[in-house]
Amino acid sequence: MTCWRRVELSNLVRVEDLTVCYESRGGKVTALDKVRLDIRSNELLAVVGESGCGKSTLALAIIGLLPNPPARILNGEIVFRGTDLIRLDQANMRKYRGTQIAMIFQEPLSSLNPVYKVGDQIAEAIMVKRSRDEGMAQVESDFMQKTHKIDPPPKISKGFRYGKRISGELKDEIIASLKLVRIPDPEHVIERYPFELSGGMRQRIMIAMALSQEPALLVADEPTTALDVTTQAQVLKLMKELMTKVKTSVLLITHDLAVACQVADRVAVMYAGDVVETANVFDLFSKPLHPYTEGLLSCLPTGSKSKVDLKPIPGSVPDLRSPIVGCKYVSRCPFVMKTCSERKPEFIETMENHEVACYLHGEKNGTNSTNN
Amino acid sequence: MEPILQTTDLTKYFPVQRGLNPFSKAKKFVRAVDGVSLTIWKGTTIAVVGESGCGKTTLARTIALLTKPTSGDIVFDGRSIVSGKTNSKLVYRDLQMIFQDPESSLDPNIKVGDTIGEPLEGLMEWSKNEVKNAVEKSLAAVGLPQDSVDRLPGQLSGGQKQRVAIARAISPQPKLVILDEPTSALDASVQAQILRLLLQLQKDYALSYMLITHNIAVAEYLSDYMAVMYSGNLVEYGLTEEIMAKPRHPYTIALISSAPLANPWKRNLLQVEIRGEVPSAINPPPGCKFNPRCPYADGICSREIPKLKEVSSGHLVACHFVEKTA
Repeated sequence: MTCWRRVELSNLVRVEDLTVCYESRGGKVTALDKVRLDIRSNELLAVVGESGCGKSTLALAIIGLLPNPPARILNGEIVFRGTDLIRLDQANMRKYRGTQIAMIFQEPLSSLNPVYKVGDQIAEAIMVKRSRDEGMAQVESDFMQKTHKIDPPPKISKGFRYGKRISGELKDEIIASLKLVRIPDPEHVIERYPFELSGGMRQRIMIAMALSQEPALLVADEPTTALDVTTQAQVLKLMKELMTKVKTSVLLITHDLAVACQVADRVAVMYAGDVVETANVFDLFSKPLHPYTEGLLSCLPTGSKSKVDLKPIPGSVPDLRSPIVGCKYVSRCPFVMKTCSERKPEFIETMENHEVACYLHGEKNGTNSTNN
Repeated sequence: MEPILQTTDLTKYFPVQRGLNPFSKAKKFVRAVDGVSLTIWKGTTIAVVGESGCGKTTLARTIALLTKPTSGDIVFDGRSIVSGKTNSKLVYRDLQMIFQDPESSLDPNIKVGDTIGEPLEGLMEWSKNEVKNAVEKSLAAVGLPQDSVDRLPGQLSGGQKQRVAIARAISPQPKLVILDEPTSALDASVQAQILRLLLQLQKDYALSYMLITHNIAVAEYLSDYMAVMYSGNLVEYGLTEEIMAKPRHPYTIALISSAPLANPWKRNLLQVEIRGEVPSAINPPPGCKFNPRCPYADGICSREIPKLKEVSSGHLVACHFVEKTA
């Protein structure tokens, strides 16, 4: 008998029955439908899926940045080290966001402030962490914009306003964090503005800022999609190395199965708002259980046309505005059965550390299908 | 085998104005395409690969006569299309292009049937009836239902839009189709559908393809020949199979080993040894443009620009130390 509600102590984040919908005039779109997912300590979990499957919504929900409206969390819990993040108010959420849970976005240019030097921006991140560590009751949101309100003003603050050089140990700390992400010539880079740097450098600065907080979880939403392949390789390699150094878990959101396969420890496959399969990366690629995972893998070009025959998945993703009763993959699945469109298959652990939501697998789901 | 298209020493420079003085004499140029000689054989697919800014899209646009080359010659189907009097209408008919993002290459206010049919009236000088038949035929060829004639692009999914763009490109019965990143805006499952469709159409219509892509896996799947570009130069050219199995230029080696493989047992990405980034196209480093990033760079590399040398039959590499990668 499989125990599907196994709770491990090593779990850093436990997402349980998370349902998120976007409400618009066109109707209600269920972006996440009772998603269950665990992130363990010091692992790289890749969430893969096609556009619109809800993988970015999941990332934003975990870090508490879902735009409300239109997004609404209808149900579920996100337990991070024993605290349910959904029930927290904004002020309390801030204690986690950015420090314990950090995030890297797809386009670094839009996440860096264009009018401040790179060094100042990293300095701010380090200052925020320090004042939090010292137990300052209220951390002002933005040192750069609200320096004049803080009494007494921190020493660093004048530097930002009047373009003075950052000095002393703070500078050493910034340079150390830039060296950590292998930025050449960090003494000069801290005096640059974001637009003067290349895409790969910017993304590395984002990583440096995120990791300066020593977060327990780093959420990376398509961190290398805007980068070139050689730069992508450098950034991913760096992320993987830093993971072991800083002892952090990474939730990597990507549409690229090949990237997931290269760096992930575990992979979760999402389809139309459901997590349909999670497994160790080796198990997922050698014996995928869900027909959708299998379909995705046979879509990947892995050789020349004379040797490889691509088998595209027929049809397209269902419209999520209309509620779907059964399994959402029904219209494209080659193994469709009668039960599939009647009831949603439960997400269960069928093999050790290999969970799947499909009637083809698992005792519980399997017996139900034979009864019908 | 006959060549369908040949370029000789093709260059395209874009002037850049630095500073506010409009009379400043020191004009600088972005050398987007810097002396590219390339041959495309009839009925085959050539993949032009490289990172963003290497000039691959500019090369495609120059070949398609969307911008005028600065110097050099393009011979298409036996005739030069740059020098002398060119019947550009003939070129536009025989040389079609499919763009990366169907969202922006299709007019959102024009029905699919007109998107495909309108160019035919001008290019082929066909009657309304002939055009209608041709539209139906090309819709069927790309696997779209006939009733999509009256649809607007907004009513179609991303994959269907790219099918419309393909239908539009193949309907004037072209000889060469330039595919500029045809699948990079699409999801994995749709990408597979489009790649299969492109192969099928190549077989049915005896098309030649020039595929512009940064995705090595797509290039390997679709192409027979491969041309690797770096900062405006062609650095390696040869059969795809040969280059994928044994890349010789240090940049090609880095590029291929940086492409993630869909195989968790072969974690090539974590072994990659490449430093730095693509140089500025305005002030490229002297000599071989790859020398600041190259593990084999030596004195000569920063002085002399290497020429393309044949390392084996039909396999050209532009590197001073090509024997080191053998």
